[in-house]
Amino acid sequence: MVEETPWQQALRYANRANPYPFYAELRKTPVARQPDGTYVVSTYREIVALLHDPRVSSDIRKIRQATTTDAEQEAGASEDVISLEPNIITSDPPEHDHDRRLMTRHFYGPQDAPHQISDLEPEIGRVVAGLLDAMRDQTRIDVVDEFAYPLPVTLISKILGVPLKDEPRFHAWIETALNALDFGPEAISEELQSQLEGGRQGVRELKRFIAELLDTYAKQPGPGMLSAMVHDDGREGHMSEGVLLSNALLLLFAGHETTVNLIAHSVLTLLRHPDALQKLRRRPELIVPGVEELLRYESSVQFWHTRSAVEDIEIAGTLIPQGSPIFLVYGSGNRDPERFANPDELDLERPDNQHLGFSQGIHFCFGAPLARLEVQAAVGEFVRRVENPRLVVDPPPYRHNQIFRGPRHVLVDIDGIRD
Amino acid sequence: MHIVVDLNRCQGYAQCVFLAHQIFRLSGDEALTYEPNPDDARRLQVQRAAAACPVQAIMIDRQDDAERGAA
Repeated sequence: MVEETPWQQALRYANRANPYPFYAELRKTPVARQPDGTYVVSTYREIVALLHDPRVSSDIRKIRQATTTDAEQEAGASEDVISLEPNIITSDPPEHDHDRRLMTRHFYGPQDAPHQISDLEPEIGRVVAGLLDAMRDQTRIDVVDEFAYPLPVTLISKILGVPLKDEPRFHAWIETALNALDFGPEAISEELQSQLEGGRQGVRELKRFIAELLDTYAKQPGPGMLSAMVHDDGREGHMSEGVLLSNALLLLFAGHETTVNLIAHSVLTLLRHPDALQKLRRRPELIVPGVEELLRYESSVQFWHTRSAVEDIEIAGTLIPQGSPIFLVYGSGNRDPERFANPDELDLERPDNQHLGFSQGIHFCFGAPLARLEVQAAVGEFVRRVENPRLVVDPPPYRHNQIFRGPRHVLVDIDGIRD
Repeated sequence: MHIVVDLNRCQGYAQCVFLAHQIFRLSGDEALTYEPNPDDARRLQVQRAAAACPVQAIMIDRQDDAERGAA
């Protein structure tokens, strides 16, 4: 029996609540080759260097097939069946730059006054207030299902023009697809294998759903960004139907999955750090730098898996051969003591906090301003209004997915909700 | 209030523009211009913009501090 690498151990479900000791072990080898030929990068300096390195591609099609495992080839084959064009996370310049610029204009507004997301602040406040008001008569709440999830899904659906009534359907498809994705030693388990086809089916259903919505908007313009993109005047160039579909899927998915985890982790982390919670009660303005620290402390995207070396890259004494997959582990870089003093401590006023919670470089999180406004409002109001919150289960149960890491439930006992 | 953006650090991520477009503006893809003395009513917006900067290039009221320190 071959001993598992720190990376393989970090990916095991049993370690989902606390992968950090394994990351610490992993950082002893900043760029660590795994048995399947993947190079896992876990130190801040090397992650940042590769994020800005033009020899690194984000296009999953450029990963050399010879290095992939059977499970990944299986997944690759299924992608052919599902046949999605690259989106802005899985494409390179110049296509990436063109597509992202076009999407930025539709998401944020015209370049001289991109006001659309900051204009949503009152609406975000109303949704947060409504969710907290609805808990008034409860003594126990689930922060995930009743608070962290409804806010971002309401907002992204409205922004995109995806009917909120369809939420139960697309939520189920996304969950099924996410649960079937595994990069660790458990990928070959019977349990995971039995979920693969369901996961593929989830992606197919989601794709069909969005394609039908785009068709509907093509015939009859409606509210939101998707309709606006279908009817784009083309002055900045054209986005094909297939690429639009892929990016619409990405926005719907990333627009709520990641923010749910950040809100849930933020509440969980503050309840584990009563001093920080008290400080935030006394000085509510600390929510602004505080959210940056929470992004560092529990990153919603732990790593990214579509990058590869387009030529040989020598870094930190390791040669990454051309074609090799490269995983950049943001969750580990954010706890690197070479970059952050006392990285395992929560410091809401941490100076010089250039965390990797939204990545860096050309693939910096597209929706970061929206996420920040949502999480500042949600966590700020939770801290202000919820009386005497106590964690019921710690650690809470986690969702299966390793990239989009977050609690499945966070049960909290409360004494009431202030006005 | 007074703000200074270190334009040598700025890489045009535009996070400040999306959070406070009344104060920060990008011309072309990377050239940032900004209002150095925004109204105090915009303080929260400016603080959000500064916290969101991926390269931490936005400094708030630092010149005042420096002057006080020198005095």
